[in-house]
Amino acid sequence: MPLSRRSILLAAIVAAAPLFAALPAHADALDDILKTKVIRIAVPQDFPPFGSVGTDLKPVGYDIDTAQLIADKLKVKLELVPVTSANRLPYLQTKKVDLVISSLGKNAEREKAIAFTAAYAPFFSGVFAPAKTAVKSAADLKGKTIGVTRGALEDLELTKIAPEGTDIKRFEDNNTTMTAFLSGQTELIATGNVVAAAIIARNPPNKPETKFIIKESPCYIGLNKDEPKLQAEVNKIIVAAKADGSLSKISQKWLGQPLTGDLPS
Amino acid sequence: MVQFTFWDILRNLLLAAQWTVLLSLIAFVGGAVVGLIVCVARISKNPGPRWAARIYIEVLQGTPLLMQLFLCFFGLSLIGLNVPPLAAAAIALTLYTSAFLGEIWRGCVEAISKGQWEASASLALTYPEQMRYVILPQALRIAVAPTVGFAVQVVKGTALASIIGFVELTKAGTMINNATFQSFLVYGLVALLYFALCFPLSLLSRRLERRLNVARAS
Repeated sequence: MPLSRRSILLAAIVAAAPLFAALPAHADALDDILKTKVIRIAVPQDFPPFGSVGTDLKPVGYDIDTAQLIADKLKVKLELVPVTSANRLPYLQTKKVDLVISSLGKNAEREKAIAFTAAYAPFFSGVFAPAKTAVKSAADLKGKTIGVTRGALEDLELTKIAPEGTDIKRFEDNNTTMTAFLSGQTELIATGNVVAAAIIARNPPNKPETKFIIKESPCYIGLNKDEPKLQAEVNKIIVAAKADGSLSKISQKWLGQPLTGDLPS
Repeated sequence: MVQFTFWDILRNLLLAAQWTVLLSLIAFVGGAVVGLIVCVARISKNPGPRWAARIYIEVLQGTPLLMQLFLCFFGLSLIGLNVPPLAAAAIALTLYTSAFLGEIWRGCVEAISKGQWEASASLALTYPEQMRYVILPQALRIAVAPTVGFAVQVVKGTALASIIGFVELTKAGTMINNATFQSFLVYGLVALLYFALCFPLSLLSRRLERRLNVARAS
């Protein structure tokens, strides 16, 4: 039953999309933030190490630290809004948050709906499975069962590249996807490098290894379209944070390695 | 990674269970009040309210609660109404519960045999009097079991409110699970807590049924 509910939900979002576009442009988001001295940022809570929870159920992680960094630089108070991958864009589009820092990848479909700032974190998506599973490319997925988180970038990409006869099982959040893989319900898992790293760190019997990379997609901060001032301001903060090493420090803390290479801006 | 002790997990789940209880209470109370109105409209002799109630029930029963929540929270913001999450949840849960309760109670009222209506009419009782003294007391007894059955479903259905940002029992379980990776322990506790909420409802139902039967016997 949850399956059909979600499909209807997705249909509703798609149907509602023109409504979002029809909204009249109103006051500049940056002005509002500076005036109210509060920035509302959507962060994940089901996606360690980007966003997870501490013992007090408050969000912690790479994305939360990045959010804090931006709030500090803007000299405003940070209000964290925990979201899931299914509702993070509606939160932004209905202006319930100012920014989405939720390990958000960039793609053409999303670019139609929202705007992005420069990348702030490294990320790639791949297909992972135990060594004994013989899969080298998307074509080998035929007849195999693969788990993926619904609405995540891997879901969109996998749906495109998987051959007919692939049994794609979609789960509501990353952790369910992970649990399904660990318990053997799915033979393969399509997910991000960091999730795979978390699985490997736990040393399960069906220890996954990278079979092939679906897509390299660094994380961007999402914001509403037509907010050039906010976009420019956040970009300035990211560039400065990359230059002075504060972003690298966050990376070291949560991903275990400093920022390497160039993140696209 | 953050270390959760057993106490941390239990404490957070109990805190989250408060939301489940509150959302359930809102759904019961709001749903019962509106549901009664829907039920009365649904069995009305006047076709206007009868059809209005029929459409109301069909629309709300035919669409998923998840979507109703979604539309109440995000949909209303689209047309410029900024509803806080609690209000959105209250509206959606009340609408949903009232549609089901209205229909359940209609069935209970209509289950009372026609003879009861005719007999009470022959005693010159008016429509409200027939309802109050003859039909509703009997319908009430039939209604207890399905109503409680549905109430238990509503308790579990409140988990859907996490889509609009509520950290209720299920959501808290998911969050803690992916910070601790102790799925069996966390979800086991979540299930136990749901049971602790729903089982007393079933007990209450059994007691109510017995008491209402005694009332008939005496």
